[in-house]
Amino acid sequence: MRKLLQYLFNYRLRALIKKEFNQIRHDRRLAFSLIVPPILQLTLFGFALSAAVSNVRLGVVDDNRSPESRELIATFTESKSFRLAGYYSSVDQLGDAISQGNVDAGMVVPYDYARDLVRERQTTVQFLLNATNANTATISRAYAESMIQNYDNGLRSQGVSARIQRVTGSQLGLRGQVQLQPAFLYNPGLVDSWFIVTGVLGLLLILNSSLVASAAMVREREAGTIEQLLMSPASTSEIIIAKIAPLFLLLFLMMLVAFGVVKFAFGVPFQGSVLVLLCGGALCILSGISIGTVIATFSKSAGQAQLTSFFINPPLSALSGALNPIEAMPRWLQPLTVLNPIHHFATIVRGSTLKGSGFMNLAPNFLGLLIFTLVFVSLSIWRFRKQLS
Amino acid sequence: MITTSPARIVEDHHGITEQPAIDVRGLSKRYGKLEAVRGITLEVRRGEIFGLIGPDGAGKTSTFQILAGVMEATSGSANIFGRAAREMRSQTGYLTQTFSLYPDLTVAENIRYSGNLRRIPPHEITERGLQYLQLFDMDRFADRLAGQLSGGMKQKLALVCALVPQPRVLLLDEPTTGVDPVSRREFWDVLAHLTEEGLTILLATPYLDEAERCHRIAFMYQGEILQIGTPTELCTSLGAKRIELRTADLRKAESMLSRETGPDKDIIDVQRFGDRLDLLVRDADKERKWLTEKLKGAGLSVDEMRVDEPTLENTFVARLRALGRKADTIEFPAKKDHSSLRGQVAVGAANLVKEFGTFTAVRNVSLQIRNGEVYGLLGANGAGKTTTIRMLCGLLDPTSGTMELGGTSGNLRSEAVRKRIGYMSQKFSLYDDLTIRENLDFFAGVYGVPEEEREEKIRWVLSFSGLQGKQDQITGSLPGGWKQRVAFGAAIMHEPDILFLDEPTSGVDPLARRAFWTMINRLADGGAAILVTTHYLEEAEQCNRLGMMVAGELVAEGTPSGIKSQQSGHLIEFIVDQPQRAADLLKSDTERWRVSLFGERLHLIAEQDPATAIQQTTKRLEENGLHVISAREGRFSLEDVFIAIVEQTRPQGKPVTQN
Repeated sequence: MRKLLQYLFNYRLRALIKKEFNQIRHDRRLAFSLIVPPILQLTLFGFALSAAVSNVRLGVVDDNRSPESRELIATFTESKSFRLAGYYSSVDQLGDAISQGNVDAGMVVPYDYARDLVRERQTTVQFLLNATNANTATISRAYAESMIQNYDNGLRSQGVSARIQRVTGSQLGLRGQVQLQPAFLYNPGLVDSWFIVTGVLGLLLILNSSLVASAAMVREREAGTIEQLLMSPASTSEIIIAKIAPLFLLLFLMMLVAFGVVKFAFGVPFQGSVLVLLCGGALCILSGISIGTVIATFSKSAGQAQLTSFFINPPLSALSGALNPIEAMPRWLQPLTVLNPIHHFATIVRGSTLKGSGFMNLAPNFLGLLIFTLVFVSLSIWRFRKQLS
Repeated sequence: MITTSPARIVEDHHGITEQPAIDVRGLSKRYGKLEAVRGITLEVRRGEIFGLIGPDGAGKTSTFQILAGVMEATSGSANIFGRAAREMRSQTGYLTQTFSLYPDLTVAENIRYSGNLRRIPPHEITERGLQYLQLFDMDRFADRLAGQLSGGMKQKLALVCALVPQPRVLLLDEPTTGVDPVSRREFWDVLAHLTEEGLTILLATPYLDEAERCHRIAFMYQGEILQIGTPTELCTSLGAKRIELRTADLRKAESMLSRETGPDKDIIDVQRFGDRLDLLVRDADKERKWLTEKLKGAGLSVDEMRVDEPTLENTFVARLRALGRKADTIEFPAKKDHSSLRGQVAVGAANLVKEFGTFTAVRNVSLQIRNGEVYGLLGANGAGKTTTIRMLCGLLDPTSGTMELGGTSGNLRSEAVRKRIGYMSQKFSLYDDLTIRENLDFFAGVYGVPEEEREEKIRWVLSFSGLQGKQDQITGSLPGGWKQRVAFGAAIMHEPDILFLDEPTSGVDPLARRAFWTMINRLADGGAAILVTTHYLEEAEQCNRLGMMVAGELVAEGTPSGIKSQQSGHLIEFIVDQPQRAADLLKSDTERWRVSLFGERLHLIAEQDPATAIQQTTKRLEENGLHVISAREGRFSLEDVFIAIVEQTRPQGKPVTQN
């Protein structure tokens, strides 16, 4: 073991690694661009790409004015999703407010609401939605459904059952037969950002590590120093290991910060072991670096390397299932995700943070990342010497 | 062949050009505390090629920048045709040390762009661009991307771009660094032509064989001009003679004579070449006798002793020495002894061929370099030198042929072999983004220089480069010449017994170059096998053996004197009243390469015996109204021979400058 370590860190490798660190040290922008933009992106994507809708302005017509009706209204307005915009005295006024855009949604509680509840009869609450933005409307509807569900569960009696019916604009003035029907959903807002953030993490790791690695490798070639390096007694694997090691450390640091953001800014529960996460992350970084080194051995200049990674990275992320379900992809493309490191990492992160899965459950994904890394690193070592001809 | 531009002719007839083209008076430039230029005064006449020579950091580039109007002087005046340089920017062309071309544009587009910048009417740009391209023999490449041109062609293109706006003054700051001898001679032929048309050229160069082609030279040192005169005036002003001494044991003779050498002694300087010593002495006759006795006394034979005028380089080095600038500093801390290897074949190549697709870059090259030998590989840009070196040192696999390196013919890339090799690649052997110290630490580490020796070795490199106390400077901020010194030092820190140096002295000033060669010789004396490439044939004479490559083939090999003596024909030097007209006339009579102009002197390579050639040529010139002032047989320089060899292969259909 000691011998192996001595071999691994012989004087040449030490000199090579020190040189890489010195180069990184002189290139302040690299460290900066490895830490700041990814964190910003993670935060931004997590919030912006999230389908969560909050603060929907709700107008209320309460014809019942009973404790029960106020309780129902409070259930809505006290949630993050809805905000009370005002009470209206009639459905017509509420309709006007919606069409003027003063409120996004409206709720009408009938005068016999409390009575029906007490009599354990089915009651009907009217819910109006401005569907100009179909997305917001759909989501608001889902929220409303789930809130009624919660409210419903809270009632000892089974009296309330909710159903939502679509109402067209012309029918607005009418007292529609809208029923709320219970739907079995989680709180969509929260789950959404968790899904996005855990996916974006993999994208960022792969994107950054491949870009940084290809830049570091190609720089040597662009400056012409590669010849000098190849002539030195250092072996190709030493050269590549020395290139990878400092970048790996930097990227690992970036990943730790990113995990912090995921936990504290988005509140993703870390159910599983941190070790699983860190191992998965390390492998993900290595596979990203290996993509970069392979790209670099095929590129003559930094520009070329960058263009090549732009060609490779977007499809890699789009087809990974990190941001959208794999099930939504064409059937013939689905098996290809096995080759995609982002997919494996996303599975590991989600499995570990949300479900608390361990190494055993995630073994196929770890194996996938490992094989990917080994194949690509070997490929770049093999290609490295061919660069001169 | 040359169409004179109408604008210049008009000027000639009006005779308004009596005033100096460039008039510099008491010019100073200060950067903070540093005084780069200290009150220089010089006048350049119209139609003159005026050379600025001096060591790195003498203030040449600052002078250029002021004259080009891109920088303000601290005090003094710099006038061009009677007006401040700044106002005359439209009339000056300025070529900087680095290429100022757009590599992604074609040759024609580059020309058009630089013309458009100066608002030259499009048809004039096309017309003149073509005219100059033809003059440079480059019109075939009009559609080629500038980035794909060889170094020499790039410089010629940059010159075309500077010429298209028809400047009256051309400022050239080291225009031929990295340009091969053939292109360089063409470049100078063009310059000679342009001055004949009335263009004034101010030029700086670190290569003094090249500076001999200037009409007049100013010798700059530490921001001051020490001397101005024609090359001959400068050489004779030293009041010294040069003795070429050939003896069997150069090393012994050199070390013996060095002890008797100094600025105040009878022998001013000793320089060792591949097969001779050059001595600079005050009194040739006295020294001849003394030398013969001295050498005989030491048991050394005197094979040949010849007295000649000192070269410009001799003069330059002697002057700098007298000024107290020492070429060498602390002794190289040698820890290894390779002398037991002496005489063994260190690099042995047989029938090396390298093909890239359908292009054969190197064909059938066989060569041997033994330990203790300095081998010079010469060739034009694109002749296959770099490819050959890469194969010789095991970086590149030959398509066919066999290689032996350091006694092994198996795995040339093994760690054991590469530890013994020192390699300095063309231009880019250091990391620009690291400090000097970090670079040296890296090379010492990666080559496994023992920890206890490192400090001493690094200290030596810093002193050798003259960079003591500047070790924390970022390498990229160093001027080219200094970077080369550090790179050279870095390449030999681990005391290799096989050393490959690809254009090590490119852009290095003469004094530092002397230090390089002293070191190269010392390493060879210690048993190392050394392969050097250079574009400067004067320094190639310091190699023990030379190989000349043309179009991927090794066409000549031998000692410098051997190669020179193999050259057929005779070199005749004429001094004529109108040198350019005479050169044009003679070029139309014979192959172009046989005629070249060195300032006022005209060189002709004739196949007949010298007397007949002198007689016939004089007659031919006199018939055309040219007056021959003197004519004598000269001796071939290595450059003459090299160009003759390259040009003689041209008719055989071999591409000479190909990328």
